[in-house]
Amino acid sequence: VKWFPSFGFQRRKRELQEEIDAHLQMAIADRVERGEKADAARQAAAREFGNILLVQDVTRQMWGQGWLEQLGRDARYALRQLRKSPGFTITTTAMLAVAICANSTVFSWIDGTMLRPIPGARDTGDLVSLQRGERSFSPVPPFSYLDYRDLREQNHTLAGLLAYHHDWITLTGGAQPERAYIANVSANYFDVLGIKPMLGRFFLPEEETRPDAVPNVVLGYALWKMRYAADPAIVGKSIEVARHPVTVIGVAPQGFVGAMPGLRQDLWITLNPLGTNVWRMTHRSAGGAVWLNVIGRLRPGVSRDQAAQDLDTLMHHIVAAYPDDHLGENRITLDPMWRSPFGANGYMAATLPILLAFAAVVLLLTCANVATLTLVRFVARRRELAIRQSLGANRMQLVRQMVLEGVILSIVAGAAALMLTSWTSKTFAWFFPANANPVVLNGTMDYRVVIGIAVSSLLAGMLCGGLPAWRSSHAPAVEVLKAESASISGGSRNRKLLSGLVVAQIALSLPLLLCCGLFLRTLRNLAGANPGFEQAPILTASVGTNIVGYSRDEERVIRRKILDRVSALPGVKVASFTDWIPMTLSHKGEDAYPEGYVPHPHESLQVYHAEVSARYFESLHIPILEGREFTPDDDEKAPRVMIVDQTAAKRYWPGQDPLGKKLMVWGRPFTVVGVAKNSTHMLMNESPEPMVYMSFFQQGYETIVQVKAEGNPVDLAPAVENAIHEIDARLPVFDVRPMRESTQIASSFAVIESTLAGMFALIGLVLAATGIYGVVAYRTQMRTHEIGVRMALGASRVDVLRLVLLQGLWITGIGLALGLAFALGLTRIIARLLYGIGANDPVTLVSVVMLLGAMSLLACYFPARRAMRRNPVSAIREL
Amino acid sequence: MSEKDQYRNRIELLQGTLDMLILQTLQWGPQHGYGIVQALRLRSGDVLQVETGSLYPALHRLERQGWVQSEWKQSESKQRARYYRITAKGKKQLASDLGRWERIVEAIGSVMYLKPEESES
Repeated sequence: VKWFPSFGFQRRKRELQEEIDAHLQMAIADRVERGEKADAARQAAAREFGNILLVQDVTRQMWGQGWLEQLGRDARYALRQLRKSPGFTITTTAMLAVAICANSTVFSWIDGTMLRPIPGARDTGDLVSLQRGERSFSPVPPFSYLDYRDLREQNHTLAGLLAYHHDWITLTGGAQPERAYIANVSANYFDVLGIKPMLGRFFLPEEETRPDAVPNVVLGYALWKMRYAADPAIVGKSIEVARHPVTVIGVAPQGFVGAMPGLRQDLWITLNPLGTNVWRMTHRSAGGAVWLNVIGRLRPGVSRDQAAQDLDTLMHHIVAAYPDDHLGENRITLDPMWRSPFGANGYMAATLPILLAFAAVVLLLTCANVATLTLVRFVARRRELAIRQSLGANRMQLVRQMVLEGVILSIVAGAAALMLTSWTSKTFAWFFPANANPVVLNGTMDYRVVIGIAVSSLLAGMLCGGLPAWRSSHAPAVEVLKAESASISGGSRNRKLLSGLVVAQIALSLPLLLCCGLFLRTLRNLAGANPGFEQAPILTASVGTNIVGYSRDEERVIRRKILDRVSALPGVKVASFTDWIPMTLSHKGEDAYPEGYVPHPHESLQVYHAEVSARYFESLHIPILEGREFTPDDDEKAPRVMIVDQTAAKRYWPGQDPLGKKLMVWGRPFTVVGVAKNSTHMLMNESPEPMVYMSFFQQGYETIVQVKAEGNPVDLAPAVENAIHEIDARLPVFDVRPMRESTQIASSFAVIESTLAGMFALIGLVLAATGIYGVVAYRTQMRTHEIGVRMALGASRVDVLRLVLLQGLWITGIGLALGLAFALGLTRIIARLLYGIGANDPVTLVSVVMLLGAMSLLACYFPARRAMRRNPVSAIREL
Repeated sequence: MSEKDQYRNRIELLQGTLDMLILQTLQWGPQHGYGIVQALRLRSGDVLQVETGSLYPALHRLERQGWVQSEWKQSESKQRARYYRITAKGKKQLASDLGRWERIVEAIGSVMYLKPEESES
């Protein structure tokens, strides 16, 4: 009974009924025995007993469980009241649903990315990603294998430390070659993450660095399902990766897609499966041996700071032991996975929390609006409330009932938001255009989102029901009943609360509008900005020459053939090779040691680099300021040459001629033969990093054909693809698209920000305008009688207009002033996300204030005009 | 006697005395609600009339406090009724209620029957 109070309640209710029946029966029996007639006895007994329902009611209160029944009764009453005004009910529910949905949508995106950084992994809160050297927003893999192994074996603060490196590869051997993202991983990779194999096993410690004739591979769930038809007996079978046979030893469970947040790894293999990585496994220097991303799991009870200290000390020892391999800055810093700069979460953490804050402002704004409407409704119902109060309802009961109306509204709104969010949470992926990375970013709809919706809808309900209810219940019943006859508006206290709520709405919507304006102008600035290269006529196509298992010589021949064939295509102005496309959120970094340059203490020696062929700069219109561009003769037989950008030249050889200077990369000297003008590498608002270009035919790894078209680059796509396939039909050709499309991803966060801020600002504007209109209209209507009297006493129509307008403008003015203060505080947070515009840009500020001011002026004008046109006689009569 | 007169002859129960009266009634044996009303009426010579609107809430409250227990039984007239029985805890409560009552009576008495000369001294 204790667990199901309502059942016990029903039983006890029945028993009480029976007890009272027995009482009446005995009373009747006694009276009949004394000689009364049956009918008369029954009536007398009932009279003597009194009001049976009242007795039951009072008795039930003694049980201490009456609240449940009371709640049910209050809920029924509230529902009846809400049904009576469907307009109010539908409007407010819809407004609340949209506002809650705004919050839950952004939260579901946070939930799907920052809160679930590694789907399937155990306790991701204990995982930390390691960064070495100067902190960077988009770092390259920071560790060599030997450094990683020393850290793993000598630390005292981690329960495990894993390492991985991932890249594209081609799965051959099937009917159709297929590109897949493969990760070389340390043997403890799955173990540290807490992943159990769905089939077979994962890697053994002795396999970590061991080359095998037939290497072992672990398949991801999606790959196993799609390419291998979910074969339950796949373990032990041989498949082909880049034309090498490998043995499947296990399949990862569904949902697990790898250790880098936001990217999908399809299959996993050990660090040196073919023995081709021996050099990498036995060196520490930046000459290509620094290639691993590293994630650690904190021991229980160890804080991130303690672990950072421990690892940093270890790193110091390593640097001291091998100083030549660790020039520059080597400090180790740790990040929790939700904001790990490796993968997507660095970007997420910079954007999504701010958007959630905006959404919260929208919810507050909506609550203020709904509270206004509710208060007006309660004022209209004050007679009913007063009567109920004089009939014996105490204030608590009235407040409870009124709050319940708000809570019911918000529960329905929450349910609607829940349904909406199950769809909107999946719209996150729309913001990421096709790109060269296996991006898996989307919102999720799990218990955390449901709890979030429940909490925000309950809070909203309390806010928009509680405030007006508490206010309305304060009105003394007698005065309300008396006042009704004199047609006084809801009292000065209600008037103040109403005005306060409208002020709040204006004050909250101003920062939303301002941020929206700033984001929209950022977006426009990004679209109009000059990245330093001309991308419109460019088409790029990736060719998997490096991932299908060709020998070096075969690859070289094929590349030459491709360049010749594509250059000869009609419509092609210039064809060149590169292994990197700027502004695609990816970059290559390497430590470089400039000749004769003494780095400052703690200075990072990392440079961005790209390998490009002859005519690359010509086709992108990047001017060569000094020296020369690469030529086809800068091949593997020729001396290593390099072109640096202005930033690199200025940093390493200030005031000197950089031409002829040497730079050590990968342990080899490169001679500077040219200086290129600076251009954008990652994002328009980046701070310039030194960039070096090397000759494609000396260092190129990936092959991207870059074609400058005479007309629309899209039209060239089929011809380019055909030309490559004519050379070798097995060559995978992928990511064939205009450069303008590829670089869109660099502004995708600006698009997310301005889209959401735009929607939120629109909601804010509509709510603020309707809010002020509603209140001014309502108060003007309440003053109809007074206005009639004024006009009868000689006030002109202009006077009336001024009277009504002024009261609205006062509210607007105060709201704008408060909002301005709030907005200027808030824009400081988004300053980092803006481009080409200051956070306090006066033009945006003034136009937003004018927009909001004009809207509220309009909202005040309509009620004012109506009041002005009233016939004073009929106005006076109206009570 | 008209009903109005009857009503006037009754005495409004003092706050807190109803619990004591019910517990006292139950001292004489388990009883149902109707029986308690009748017993109080008879023993007070028709002066104390307990309203059902007070009796049943009181009984249920006493049961919740653990001073009485109830069970369904057949009455002598074959009527199924809920019988209340005083518990050990209830007896203790009754004793303390009674003590308090006696002190009140004494105190009120000493106020009401105060002799003038005593007040001067």
